[in-house]
Amino acid sequence: MATQIVMDHTGDTRHHFNADDTEALLKAEERFKALDFCRLYGGCFAMPPADAATVTRSFDPGAEETLFYPRLVGG
Amino acid sequence: MLAQQLVVATGPLGRLLAECARRFQVWREWYRTTAAADSPEARATTLLREWLSPQQRAQFDVEGYFDVVGCDSGKRYRIHYGTSMNVHEMDDAGHSKFGWCFVPNRRLVAGDVMLAQKNRLGDVRKQRVGGSQQVSAKPNDVPRQPAAAY
Repeated sequence: MATQIVMDHTGDTRHHFNADDTEALLKAEERFKALDFCRLYGGCFAMPPADAATVTRSFDPGAEETLFYPRLVGG
Repeated sequence: MLAQQLVVATGPLGRLLAECARRFQVWREWYRTTAAADSPEARATTLLREWLSPQQRAQFDVEGYFDVVGCDSGKRYRIHYGTSMNVHEMDDAGHSKFGWCFVPNRRLVAGDVMLAQKNRLGDVRKQRVGGSQQVSAKPNDVPRQPAAAY
C-alpha cells in the first residue's frame, strides 16, 4: 500500500492507495497534479521501497511513500 | 454556631467541588489520551518523529530541538520547536552563530514546519517505522530561496 502524505493545517492528510491498481494509481497521479505543488508546495520526497528518499517534482508510481511539504520563504 | 453553619454550608459545596475536580480529571485524561493524540500538533509531531534519525529523535525528545547537517555545506543547524525564527546555524563550538528565518507559505503547525525546514536544509532521512533500515538522500542544502538571517 502506497501513501501520499500532504502537510496541511490538520497536521497531515494521508492518502493510501494500491500501487498495483491502475485506477488507484491514476487517481493518485491526478491528486499529485491537483496539488499544484509548483505554486503551493515546494516539492516532495518520494521514497521507493528499499532505496534512498529522493526529491521529485513529478509523479513517481513506484514510490512507497511521498511526502509533500510546502514552499518555504524567507521570513 | 457559625462553625456549624459553615460546615453545613461548605459540606455540599465541598462535595460539589470534589465532584467537579473528579470530572475534570476524567476529562483531562480522556483529552490527553484521545483528543490531544489526534490534534494537529500531535499528528505533525508524530510525522516529524517518523522522519528523524534515532539520534535526532532522542535529542528532540530530551532537548526540544535537533541538529541537522547541511549536505552540501556540511554546516550544522539546530532546529528548535516552533514555527518561525527557530533555525540557528551553529559554530564548531556548538554556539549559535546566527538564525535563519524561513517559513512555509501556508499555515502549518510546529512539527510540520520543522520537518519542512529539516528537509529543505538537505537532511532528508527517514528511519522506517518498524524496521531498521535507514534511508537518506541529498537533495539540496541551505535555503536557496530568500531566507532572512538575523
